[in-house]
Amino acid sequence: MLILESVHTYYGHIHALKGISLTVNEGEIVTLIGSNGAGKTTTLNTISGVLSARGGAIYLQDSGRNGRSRSAGGRHDSDGDIRLDRLPAHEIARLGVSQSPEGRKIFARLSVQENLAMGAFARTDHDSIRSDLDRVLKLFPRLQERLTQPGGTLSGGEQQMLAIGRALMSSPRILLLDEPSMGLAPILVQQIFQIIREINAQGTTILLVEQNAQAALQVANRGYVLETGNIVLSGAAQDLLADPQVAEAYLGI
Amino acid sequence: MTSSPVKAQAAGTDGRAAMKQFTRALGAAIVILVVWRVTTVGLAEGYPASFWISQALNGLVLGGVYALVALGYTLVYGILFMINFAHGEVMMIGGITGFFALQFAQARGWMEGPWPVVVVALLLIMFIGMAASVLIGVTLERLAYRPLRQAPRLVPLISAIGASLFLQYSVLLIFGVSPHSYRKPALISGGLRLGDVFIPYTGAIIFVISILLMLALYFIIQRTKLGRAMRAVAEDRSTASLMGVDVNAVIVVTFMLGSALAGAAGVMLGFHNTVVKFNSGFIPGLKAFTAAVLGGIGNIPGAMFGALILGLIEAIGPSALGIPTEYKDVIAFTLLVLILIFRPTGLFGEVLSEKRA
Repeated sequence: MLILESVHTYYGHIHALKGISLTVNEGEIVTLIGSNGAGKTTTLNTISGVLSARGGAIYLQDSGRNGRSRSAGGRHDSDGDIRLDRLPAHEIARLGVSQSPEGRKIFARLSVQENLAMGAFARTDHDSIRSDLDRVLKLFPRLQERLTQPGGTLSGGEQQMLAIGRALMSSPRILLLDEPSMGLAPILVQQIFQIIREINAQGTTILLVEQNAQAALQVANRGYVLETGNIVLSGAAQDLLADPQVAEAYLGI
Repeated sequence: MTSSPVKAQAAGTDGRAAMKQFTRALGAAIVILVVWRVTTVGLAEGYPASFWISQALNGLVLGGVYALVALGYTLVYGILFMINFAHGEVMMIGGITGFFALQFAQARGWMEGPWPVVVVALLLIMFIGMAASVLIGVTLERLAYRPLRQAPRLVPLISAIGASLFLQYSVLLIFGVSPHSYRKPALISGGLRLGDVFIPYTGAIIFVISILLMLALYFIIQRTKLGRAMRAVAEDRSTASLMGVDVNAVIVVTFMLGSALAGAAGVMLGFHNTVVKFNSGFIPGLKAFTAAVLGGIGNIPGAMFGALILGLIEAIGPSALGIPTEYKDVIAFTLLVLILIFRPTGLFGEVLSEKRA
């Protein structure tokens, strides 16, 4: 569904992604693990168009699911795929690529309800927005109690739920989750990963970036290991969990 | 030797404490001076109550106009963190355009027609002024500010001052130095007399229209999808773009809204002051900026109340302090300096920081 081909991203002169290639298939949970500064967030922001790739290509396969309009400026190649790189961030979001960013990035002065409504900003199908809101509130009952509160008054865990809920409100074809477990109490971490499984079971493809490699690999189908801007290892999540190299570097065993 | 950094630090905190004491003393001195002037001079003049009421009403009218302009400053600051110092000129362009629209209407005799014709024509004149201001505001954003979006914050500020001068002197070149005088139609000349208090129709109309426009803006910002997107962009541009918000479009709309309000203010100020010329946006622009800072820049209700308070202070101040009315600008700008010294976040600053937390 999502294909990165040898993607290069720079911060000024700093070469942050040195030719990343990865694939996420429809219905999968794929995780991207690696230490701080390896380029995990950079990868997600390049896919989302917050950062622009200076080399390589990013494709979104055009399944035509959801009956979305694909005329939003997406350039189609011969396979009918849409090239995402060089599209502005808001158009990528409108194609169904939704990110829950690192550090949650809740709109602190907007109410919880308004934050969720921002997630559905590009949609006009009001009936399905309503049912997606119900679904999100069923997934995160805590948000239901806080609908009118400003987002900034929520606790860290609640903000994380709001960030994921907000991303889900766009009814994404693929959900990019950046460090959903960061800074959360262990019990909440478990809960968040449980919810990631649920979201995936309901049919959303997920690309998950995590420092908590153990937990990430346990929910994922496949994984990629990122080291200083390069993918050094990839494979089925079970195999990566069993890999002694991964165990030593990322699982703290 | 080892104790010297500690000493230096102590001296530093001493210095800061001394500075704080000094500003406090200065503040107290100013309050005492103002109270002394008001009680011994202003109130001793023995003006009747109707005089003060008239002045206060004048102040509210002026404050309403300032508020419309101040909202433009605060909206743009809220989203781009820049002061659009050409905003006063955006208002002036609205006033100049409104003048020509008025002349056109007068030449066709619409201003002497039955009252519905006059009302519709006046509204049209205001909309034409607003449209001209919107055009200028959006052009400014595109040509003078957007190319500098990634530059350090001082750079667009300088560009704004350049744009302000460019607009002033372009108007001077095209329309000349002599003021264009707005001729009020008979329908809105005169006014209401309530006892000893006289309320000119134009004043009442300006105040009502200002309030209506402010309510409309507040509705757009708080209750519409567009307004929600504006608030989201103001908080976090890149996260807003992740939600599918076209940030550039939102910035353009922000300029459009601010400029439309300024255009309306320009036309109404034309009717109020009866003249417009190339530099007639400059001082009101600075006043509106003062009002926005008074309320807390970036804060929308702050701009509204700051402007009304500034209008009142400017209208009542000279008589209350017993100084000539020509010095009302001195009062306004002294106030600006004092706010920047004593409360840089403005009157509504606390509310803002609370919401941010």
